[in-house]
Amino acid sequence: MGKLKLGVYWAASCGGCDIAIVELGEHLLDLAEVADIVFWPAATDFKCEDVEAMESKSMDLALFNGAIRTEEDAHIAHLLRDRAKVLVAFGSCAMEGCIPALGNIKGPDYALYRALEETPTTDNPHNWRPKTAFEMPEGTLTLPGLYKQVRTLAEVVPVDYSIPGCPPNHDQVWKALSAVIAGDLPPTGSLLGVDSRTVCDQCPRTREGKIRVSRFHRPHEVIPDPERCLLEQGLVCAGPATHAGCGALCIKANMPCRGCYGPPDSVSDQGAALMDAIVASFDGQSDAEIRQVLETVVDPVGTFYRFSLAGSLLYRVRMSELLSGQVCDTQAGGNGGEEVRS
Amino acid sequence: MIRSDQLDHGFVEEVMAEPGGQHLLTCWSCGTCAATCIVRRYEPAFNPRLILHKAGLGLREEVLCCSEIWQCSACDACYPRCPKEIHISEVMKAIRAVAIRAGYESPGPTAEVDETICSGCAVCTRACPYGAIERVTKGVNGSERTVAHVDRNLCLHCGICVAACPSGAMSLESFSDRELISRMGADGWLDKPGHLQGGSPEPRVLAFVCQWSIHSGAEWAWLDDLQSDTVRVVNLPCSGRVDPAMVLLALTKGADGVLVVGCKEGECHYVRGTYLGRSKLALIGQILSQMGMDAERVQFAEMGALDRFRLPKLISAIANDLKGVRVSAQVAVMA
Repeated sequence: MGKLKLGVYWAASCGGCDIAIVELGEHLLDLAEVADIVFWPAATDFKCEDVEAMESKSMDLALFNGAIRTEEDAHIAHLLRDRAKVLVAFGSCAMEGCIPALGNIKGPDYALYRALEETPTTDNPHNWRPKTAFEMPEGTLTLPGLYKQVRTLAEVVPVDYSIPGCPPNHDQVWKALSAVIAGDLPPTGSLLGVDSRTVCDQCPRTREGKIRVSRFHRPHEVIPDPERCLLEQGLVCAGPATHAGCGALCIKANMPCRGCYGPPDSVSDQGAALMDAIVASFDGQSDAEIRQVLETVVDPVGTFYRFSLAGSLLYRVRMSELLSGQVCDTQAGGNGGEEVRS
Repeated sequence: MIRSDQLDHGFVEEVMAEPGGQHLLTCWSCGTCAATCIVRRYEPAFNPRLILHKAGLGLREEVLCCSEIWQCSACDACYPRCPKEIHISEVMKAIRAVAIRAGYESPGPTAEVDETICSGCAVCTRACPYGAIERVTKGVNGSERTVAHVDRNLCLHCGICVAACPSGAMSLESFSDRELISRMGADGWLDKPGHLQGGSPEPRVLAFVCQWSIHSGAEWAWLDDLQSDTVRVVNLPCSGRVDPAMVLLALTKGADGVLVVGCKEGECHYVRGTYLGRSKLALIGQILSQMGMDAERVQFAEMGALDRFRLPKLISAIANDLKGVRVSAQVAVMA
């Protein structure tokens, strides 16, 4: 049998997922013995045209990290879906939208306005905006269009497996790759590179179990006791609603779990599960007291849906009113130099 | 008629030896507890004075066999009013402890833990209004793990832990997630397009109603008349059982708005159920408006024991509000 053919791609992501692969360290040598990397924009010089020239299903495994934010992201998602036998949503962005999907709260037109006009350090007297096509004497320059919403990979093409994490823990990545190399894969649709149950199962802190919270703090406001449950110290810790797999990394660094491993197996909406778990720990014997606790939960969407907004029930409530796959108004209008109405 | 040979003073001593049972004989049967009892408004047969009196006489079998000892929901409405300062729910708990030792079981369902899923995260132990859940370390499928354990004496089946559990490990007979979702969507109600989606001419409202706000069979029959193409009523054991995921699920489908009806402040049977239900709805409203949607689409309303006739009015009020809701697509992006 020949060597496996492996592709890696980054769409709307920070590059952390590529680092997670580099972090395999000496296992990269083990990987190189059994697999050839045929596409990896972050590390190798293969171009999109090289993938286009490949035959359908000629790649054994494609690890796709990043959410779908631009037309280019969607184009390569379709391309890799066709060329790869197994397509994996690698990391939180591809699996559930992650931080880029928080852009869905206000949308891309606002993001461009904010970045190119609103910030105090921006000097853009003509209110320039990036256009999808721009004529230059040398020819036409193009940029991929921004979609109106950030989507998960599975919302664009069928996905075989997902590896959660922001980024996935390198030990778990190796575990998942070993399963692919050995041909020992679970049923399609499963998560790879996770442990059973939730982060609390791996958390070494002591939980008293009956302490309720009369106000919540943001992580920069307090230095928590490193031995006690962070939730009981008034920090919104997503551990109870987050799939185990990271080995409670953040918690061991005295930071609350932010929820990057997604919801546990029997839960569909991580934000809703976390919201209920947080409300249940509210202290107070009257409506007024409970309302005071509620007021200390700052930025609820960003707190509860930090990683899972794109695929969440919450976003689906709004998606039902928007058309999927449309390019944002700023670019569609081609108002590269014109003033944008606000 | 009470025969003196039926009286068992050993039973009185047994109850009084339990924590909380020591005040059993201080009761002078004034009946103030029965007059303030919230359970009694719905279950006229329930009378805490009578139970204390019988237990104080030592009528062992009569007390242990009766279903009333399991009905007290420990709301403690009677406690501050008792002139003898008897913590009646604690005495009830002591009687139940004796009953459980004698082999009796709670007639109602209690919360159940799926130990294979439970992570021992302690969310449920904090959520429970009665402290009925503890974490215990035991062998599960061959490995030593810490999981939740429900005390069947203390659990009063409010379902607050079922909603709170972030792993889906808790369940309550007849109010599990699956059962509630199937009631929400029975006859394809959820699949019909709502008013905001341009389907129904009138807004479609899903109402979750605490079962203590509506109790008798006759009232449920009356509620059945309320069910229609635009109104779906689903009962919950307590408004604290409402699950944000279910509210959002309904909104992604054919419900334009979700109304949750709980008991009035201070009348909640399950101590903190109303507060939790209200907090969850407030939080869902906040995340909807943060996402540019109208927070009016989810509302919480209170309904006391004596104003149950208000339910249709509450439903038409939210339906009216929903007519004025703008969908987010029309909200200015730069706003």
